[in-house]
Amino acid sequence: MAINPASPTPSMFRKKPSSAMSTAASYLSAVSKADARARGLNGGSTTSTPALSLSSSVTSSSEDTVLHEDIGDSADGLYYPSVPPTSEQVFTTVHTEFGHCANESYRYTSRHTPGEPVKGVVEQDPPYYILITTYVSYLLVICIGHLRDFIDFDSFYTRRLKSRIDDCFSHPVTGVPGRTILLLDRYSTDHNVTFQPTGTRTRGLNISSYNYLGFAQGDGPCADAVEESVARYGVSACSTRREVGTLDLHLQAEALVARFMGMESALISSMGFATNSTIIPALVSKGCLVISDEFNHASIRYGVRLSGANVRMFKHNNMQALESLLREVISQGQPKTHRPWKKILIIVEGLYSMEGTLVNLPALLELKKKYKFYLFVDEAHSVGAMGPHGRGVADYFDVNPRSIDILMGTFTKSFGAAGGYIAGNKALIERLRISSHYSAYTEAMAPPVLTQVMASMASIMGVTIIPETKNSSSLSLLHSSNAIPVPVTNLEATAYPGTAPSTALPNWVSLPPSLCDGSDGRMRLRRLAFNSRYLNRALRKLGFITYGHDDSPVVPLLVFHPGKMAVFSRMMRTRAIPIVIVVVAYPATPLVTSRVRFCLSASHTKEDIDLVLKACDEIGELLDLKQAVGERWPLEEITKRAVELVSMKECP
Amino acid sequence: MSATTSSLEPLFTILSYSYATLETNFYKLPGSSVVARYVKSSHQNDPGRTLLEVFLIIFAIRTLLQSRTRADNSGKHFISFDEKEIDELVDEWTPEPLAAELSPKEQAELASIPVIVGPTGPKPKLSNGKTVLNLASYNFTGLAGNEDIKQSGVETLRKYGLGSCGPPGFYGNQDVHIQLEKDIADFLGTESAILYSQAFSTISSVIPAFCKRGDLIVADRGVNFSIQKGLQISRCTVRWYDHNDLNSLEQVLEAIEKERQKKRSPLTRRFIVTEGIFDHDGAMSDLPKLIELKLKFKYRLILDESISFGSVGRTGRGLTELYNVPADQVDMLVGSVANGLASAGGFCAGTNIVVNHQRINGTSFVFSAAMPALLTVAASEGISILRNTPSILSTLQENIRAVRVILDRVDCISIPSHPASATIHLHVKLPSPMHLSPRVPPPSPSLSSSSSGKPSNPLSPTPREAPQFDAELEEKLLQDVVEEALAQGVLITRAKRLRGQELNDIRPSIRLAISAALNKKDCEKAANVVKAAFVKIVGRQRR
Repeated sequence: MAINPASPTPSMFRKKPSSAMSTAASYLSAVSKADARARGLNGGSTTSTPALSLSSSVTSSSEDTVLHEDIGDSADGLYYPSVPPTSEQVFTTVHTEFGHCANESYRYTSRHTPGEPVKGVVEQDPPYYILITTYVSYLLVICIGHLRDFIDFDSFYTRRLKSRIDDCFSHPVTGVPGRTILLLDRYSTDHNVTFQPTGTRTRGLNISSYNYLGFAQGDGPCADAVEESVARYGVSACSTRREVGTLDLHLQAEALVARFMGMESALISSMGFATNSTIIPALVSKGCLVISDEFNHASIRYGVRLSGANVRMFKHNNMQALESLLREVISQGQPKTHRPWKKILIIVEGLYSMEGTLVNLPALLELKKKYKFYLFVDEAHSVGAMGPHGRGVADYFDVNPRSIDILMGTFTKSFGAAGGYIAGNKALIERLRISSHYSAYTEAMAPPVLTQVMASMASIMGVTIIPETKNSSSLSLLHSSNAIPVPVTNLEATAYPGTAPSTALPNWVSLPPSLCDGSDGRMRLRRLAFNSRYLNRALRKLGFITYGHDDSPVVPLLVFHPGKMAVFSRMMRTRAIPIVIVVVAYPATPLVTSRVRFCLSASHTKEDIDLVLKACDEIGELLDLKQAVGERWPLEEITKRAVELVSMKECP
Repeated sequence: MSATTSSLEPLFTILSYSYATLETNFYKLPGSSVVARYVKSSHQNDPGRTLLEVFLIIFAIRTLLQSRTRADNSGKHFISFDEKEIDELVDEWTPEPLAAELSPKEQAELASIPVIVGPTGPKPKLSNGKTVLNLASYNFTGLAGNEDIKQSGVETLRKYGLGSCGPPGFYGNQDVHIQLEKDIADFLGTESAILYSQAFSTISSVIPAFCKRGDLIVADRGVNFSIQKGLQISRCTVRWYDHNDLNSLEQVLEAIEKERQKKRSPLTRRFIVTEGIFDHDGAMSDLPKLIELKLKFKYRLILDESISFGSVGRTGRGLTELYNVPADQVDMLVGSVANGLASAGGFCAGTNIVVNHQRINGTSFVFSAAMPALLTVAASEGISILRNTPSILSTLQENIRAVRVILDRVDCISIPSHPASATIHLHVKLPSPMHLSPRVPPPSPSLSSSSSGKPSNPLSPTPREAPQFDAELEEKLLQDVVEEALAQGVLITRAKRLRGQELNDIRPSIRLAISAALNKKDCEKAANVVKAAFVKIVGRQRR
């Protein structure tokens, strides 16, 4: 890889008298874009006039930048930062994709305090009348549904219950799913059976996408690297990994992932769901036992079912229940025959996407020492999002990642890419390359996706420049041996969680200095940690019942009634500044605990969170959602004392 | 006696006191008097009923309190241990290693996987620095590396970023996905289509979305691994018919119908599952006959066109175009965007009902993030290229013919693939089965004569006369052929499968994938290299 020779010179902006122009680089790019459009360069490539393309870091920006066709109210904070940047601050991102936030106090580090016991999440129950009315409201729609058809029960739920709230799901969108998102408006004339587009678009604040570190960007160094890779590699690898679909990029990316996770070796699969469903069958088989958390993801259950292993479940995150189950299954052995189990594999998730709870990793590792099971941690949501270095739950709890046997995760969430990985020791990964469905039958990951993974991962890690000699380039390593896992330059100096050596990246990837020194990655991690903690605690202070850990970027807010859930979603979407959120209900959650789920991102600013809080405050009042017991603060106090709220050790 | 009574006196006091408080508290509850009146009157009328109701209430409470993840310690196989014994058992137990060590053969296999440096395409560069002719990548229509696709990909990247950052149900449903689904449906001529983000996970999700326990599936014995997994997950009843033998299918369907009438069992959902061009050997299904049978016996047809979509038909629409059958005759038409359009993902096309059902029930659709926009647009662009340039498919067919002309006449190769199939499987043909290692007995004459007689058992996935071959030996020979061809500058590959995990043992083969991106001369050159490699390696074995 090469380093950009100090290309976007901030001094360029400093020289300008800025008081009149309350803008940053994104404005300039947008202006240049608008200018180009005005000149009638419509279908062609967007070559802006050289005079205006002052900033090279904001490359030819896409259609949906700051100056989107007709922005209604420019003062609403969606398109322009509500606090104008000063001349000292240079933002290289587009505000609608990655919000501008220069206040260094709005940062926090996601880290477990060492030595402290991991507290379980106290699940607050709502008053009984809420529970009873929830059941009654289900009963009501069920009865009405049954009245309307009492023959076919099969699709009853979908037709009669879900279709009432279908307008809250599968909403078509366009553009970058970053800090904001463009909804394609639609309406239904036949009770949500079909939807017609109105042709208009609405930009809303996006609290719904899995974009924890804000890498969903159409601009910036990662996108530049992907563009380069498309030019060099095209869009596909055209085969499976075991046949002829292995590119040099795959080996480089796998080596980088292994380094990032602090494991010996790693493999990459082209789909997150399939990572579990095609690899678990290679880990366990008949005669083995899988112990699975009751809230594990569908892909895990799918994979376990294919494997033919026995399955037992334990109560969510309950280590006592797990231990007694372990004692039972080890002493009893296999059912009927009482033969000892071949292996016992415990599968848990790092961060549960519906609950916002974190796995109690220290306790699990204690149990592991005694009961000799193998541990599989699915970090689909926690990798990148948790821990002071973004390396997931192991980093968060400060335990050695190698004490976990199998680390699985996806690139969809924190890295703005797609697909998944498995990291483990070398023997395990080699075994999986030979015996799992993934390597023999699934398509290899596409080169642009690999590049996004590498570029975003490197910017989280930071890059140590290693002068490229003739022999140390990663390509020549490939020449010397054609063994599959290539250990790219064995640098013991940069131990876990250290930086990536520049030789681990392809030499055509050029990253700006802010990415190489890791400051960009640190900024993202710290902003996400602040946002998560702020929203979690602020919602509780407002009196809402939320599940989940304080540091979790997934924040579930309980609404209980299925009807309220839909109303909540619609009210958020139709506000003056629309807010896009996800609502989930049965069957993804237990029947009574319908919930709203917020997915925070490093791209959100503190003002964005304030906006969400204000909306929740108003809607929560209206829908009677503030049912939690405990101390409450008024909204103004929360927004004013945000930093204090976040840095409090305990939040009652 | 009196002493005991007096000593029990405080107890009675406490009892009577607590009873009184309980009673007063009970009557404080709203509606409690109604309950009390009901209990009293019912007890008066029928004392036995009170007892029964008390039992019922206790049972209900017990059922409610029982946890769903309860330990199965009430079963008759449960042995109770005390804590110390359990501790000992825990100490004694040693698990097997998580991953078995690779055997030398497996290590060799891992080391033999070629690494392409730079883009894949008709003439990729390998890690040993050599540029080779590619007869292995799924790039039938030569879309890999297409400049138009690259350009639209970059434009999409700037507009959408890379990842979709969410499942389709939760704001991951971008307009480009809707567009590609529409493009595929229009291209094939179906009402609608749904996009999955990986080809392998498509049909293994489509099958369980429609077929549940108790439903009936009639499947070909030679279906690919993804279908096998879909059948396994769906837990439905499966009947098997001989590989690509529609007479056998008809017999099985008739037998099922007869059995159903005899047992008067209720109608269930019924499906025929097969492939257009088979992944295992390149054989092609007779689609018109399949449609005829499915209509006659009232089944639905799930057709996997992962290989045939984008490789046969005038413009690459697959088997439906080749046989001129309207695509809406196939109920669920599954294809691979990764193979057919050199992008990523898979699709299922069908009616609106079929597609919308999957949007809620297709496991790997619902629980997976939507495909990156860039890859989606690349596929849309690929479809428009195929539509506008029918010459691509005629070039492809010419290339296939050119290769087949050379390889068909080599006497140490046998080819099970259909002449129009863009994947060509090459089996080793050894002079006689006597050559095989002694542990495989030669087919007895009684068995071979019965080939037209007794049909295979439809309950078992293994055919009555399983083909006999020495997989170890053939694999080794084929790998030698691959390496020999590679040394001569032609990249080919063995069809890699998980032996032992597939339903049946599949005869090892070399799988060629012909591309329209090569010219005829290159194809002939490559085919001659493959031929020479076969003659050299297998010929040596014969001597």
